[in-house]
Amino acid sequence: MRKQGDAHGALTPPSEAPGVHPKPLWSFRPDSDRASGDAVVSNFLLHWFPAKALKASLDWNYSLWLGTVSAALLLLLVLSGMPLLFLYVPSVERAYATVKDIEYVVTFGSWIRSVHRIAAHLMVAAVALHLARVFFTGAYKNGVGQGQRREWNWVLGVGMLLATLFLSFTGYLLPWDQLAYWAVTVGTNIASSIPWIGPAIRELLLGGRVIEQPTLIRFYVLHILALPGLLGILFVYHMWRIRKDGGLARADREALLAEKAATPPAATKTYTLLGIARGTAPTIRASSLARPDASVNAVPDLTRRAAIVCLGTIAVLSILAVFIRSPLEEPANALVTPNPAKAPWYFLWLQEIVTDTTVHIGAFTINGAFLGGVILPGLLIALLTVWPWLDRSPAGVAGVWFARDRRTQNLAFILLALGVIALTLVGTFCRGPYWHFYWPWETWPEIPARI
Amino acid sequence: MEQRTNSPYPKLDRPVLAVIGILLVVSTILFVRSDRLRDFWYYQYEFKRMVADKFGAEKAKSVPSGLQQIWVRDLRHADRCVTCHQATAWKGFESAEEPWRTHPVEPLRTHPPERYGCTSCHGGQGWAVDVSEAHGQMAHWEEPLLGSELGEAYSLVDDKTALMQMNCNVCHRYDRETAGATAINTAKSLIKEKGCHACHVINSRGGTIGPDLTYVGDKAPEQYDYSRLSGQRTAFAWHVAHFKEPRALVSDTVMPNFHLTTREAQALAMLVLSWRREEVPAEYLHGAPRTDPRTPEEARAEEDMKTGPGAWFVKTGCFVCHSITAFGVRSPAQIGPDLSIAVEDVQARFGKTIDDFLANPTGTMSVVLSRQIILSKEQKAEAVKNLRAAFAEHQKQAAHK
Repeated sequence: MRKQGDAHGALTPPSEAPGVHPKPLWSFRPDSDRASGDAVVSNFLLHWFPAKALKASLDWNYSLWLGTVSAALLLLLVLSGMPLLFLYVPSVERAYATVKDIEYVVTFGSWIRSVHRIAAHLMVAAVALHLARVFFTGAYKNGVGQGQRREWNWVLGVGMLLATLFLSFTGYLLPWDQLAYWAVTVGTNIASSIPWIGPAIRELLLGGRVIEQPTLIRFYVLHILALPGLLGILFVYHMWRIRKDGGLARADREALLAEKAATPPAATKTYTLLGIARGTAPTIRASSLARPDASVNAVPDLTRRAAIVCLGTIAVLSILAVFIRSPLEEPANALVTPNPAKAPWYFLWLQEIVTDTTVHIGAFTINGAFLGGVILPGLLIALLTVWPWLDRSPAGVAGVWFARDRRTQNLAFILLALGVIALTLVGTFCRGPYWHFYWPWETWPEIPARI
Repeated sequence: MEQRTNSPYPKLDRPVLAVIGILLVVSTILFVRSDRLRDFWYYQYEFKRMVADKFGAEKAKSVPSGLQQIWVRDLRHADRCVTCHQATAWKGFESAEEPWRTHPVEPLRTHPPERYGCTSCHGGQGWAVDVSEAHGQMAHWEEPLLGSELGEAYSLVDDKTALMQMNCNVCHRYDRETAGATAINTAKSLIKEKGCHACHVINSRGGTIGPDLTYVGDKAPEQYDYSRLSGQRTAFAWHVAHFKEPRALVSDTVMPNFHLTTREAQALAMLVLSWRREEVPAEYLHGAPRTDPRTPEEARAEEDMKTGPGAWFVKTGCFVCHSITAFGVRSPAQIGPDLSIAVEDVQARFGKTIDDFLANPTGTMSVVLSRQIILSKEQKAEAVKNLRAAFAEHQKQAAHK
């Protein structure tokens, strides 16, 4: 076999890299050594982890393992969702009763439902924190590897955050209780505030003009089929890109540092996953990876840590679900609005903005729904999506927490995040009936009962 | 094989992983335990013991254990009350403490549990199997157990268990009087006596000065103004106070003060709160007419048939197939010939007198008279007498014409 490193420089891509496969699929019954090698090399599931991992990438305090936590929560959501699929009936007459049955008489039903609900809430938080970590470390920046597209993986990540939010929101309606009904009323009314097309969007979401059976079945199918499918595809692509991009952004930095230490040019490695890559494959310079003091074998060091994070997440969640029971309010009633009607906590900052930007001038009301519910989050998402292309800081700061070169943008991000957190806290803890402000230690007016 | 690098991780990571393994075991124990530990095991254990003491160990074996429920398909109720209240259908525990007490037999005779369940009368949350939640003492459940405890809390005058009558009136709302529902009956007579219909529409009849009260029981508790109400802030308490002194709660109301006693105000509050848009199958609604509508003429004609000269034919059932026009009896089916002329007709058709024919009928009548309308000798004689009378009437009418 020809030695790659000699013929090409370390930075020029090899024209005929070994492992770049002419066939898109591998064979389960290979007829040659080469084919059997290909079957192993091009199988993504066998290459979820690299053979060797940089110690720096494994550090607890670099990535905080938030992506793995999110993935573990997703796994839990799928696992706990399976039994619920057998038990829940998506009909306005029966949904509420089936949830009551899950709560009271299904073996482990209450626990399973709590696991599902708590995991959903925590996943929104974990995914958001993961995004913040990637931003603060500038990990969407490309380093020295070739064929890197980290900015696109960031875009995928933003897409996954949105998918997570919508999954959580669609799940909200399914119990068909007051909480569900009115959270969806608030959410879809915000959508209808978009000029011109708003009412049409609301009608498309609801399958009509009121929240009824068509809405329930729409949200149900989105929740169990469409959105998990989308999230699954994005997830696989996200993981694949991490390998294509040469691991965490920190790996590039290690390589750069190694270069400064003037290691002699070493062999280049190329990777292809699922055999999908054609032509030029991303090339990671093996110099840093080859340094015995900088890396460890992925099995068992990386896998053990992944197990700690995944199993730890499962254990903590399982214990939480024993002690935190999931609420179920009165059956949905279009005639009675709970006071206050609050959106899920991750949308409360938007609801807060909506109410704060709703201005009454005399008899006129300027509704804040369009500004607070559409324009502002739309702008934020658009800005997040294109940020990697706006970020002009040098490549060397990728993979560094709070790099000096990215101080201004990190500060801006922190201020925005603090604003969102503050509004969320106000919405969660300080808003009582009629959206009046109450300090957390103040008691709300007593909610009357029927009899 | 590639040389393994010296990894610094196992020293810390392995114990951490071990701790997480222990946590997983602990969490499994916790959730299994929380699922298995239910109040009802204790109540079922106690009841088994009580049955064993009273009727012997053999009988105690027949007491079921685990979750029990009464499923009422028509009402879509799954009432799991019987999981703890196991003695309801047993004799011999009439004076035992709840939940081991026998249910009074009399109300169950007309309201069998398999048709009504428990919660349709008693309130509470049939789905739940833990005491406080089943009794409806939890947030987000608006149907509390309508027992004497709640009655005490409202200091009901005389009968502390009267609140349950609100649920009676869900099916009995169109009754003028319902046996056993004394408070509701009092309230219904007050409605007539005080002329509530003058200002309020109730069941689609009444004046429009006050609000329509037909479904006032559905008004959400949040929709009342409690700012001038002292004490319990519930819809029930609001109505009691409002009935006693309307102006005290709603300053600009035109509703007069009827100087009701506390008992009367409580009874009226129960009645109005029972006026709800409950989805009850038609056959559960007591007193609601469920027959084909008839015009007054039709009703009168039917009454005449039953009391007129042809009453014997109606009572005996002949009129199902035969009209007796001479007596004004009109058969709904009109399959057989008119009996007004039977005396002549039978002779013409069968060559027998009417007496012979009834004694030894042939054809269709032999089947009818041997299976459906079986007449004794005396009855047959009466039939002949009536048929002759009908024929005489027929001839009289014909001569008239």
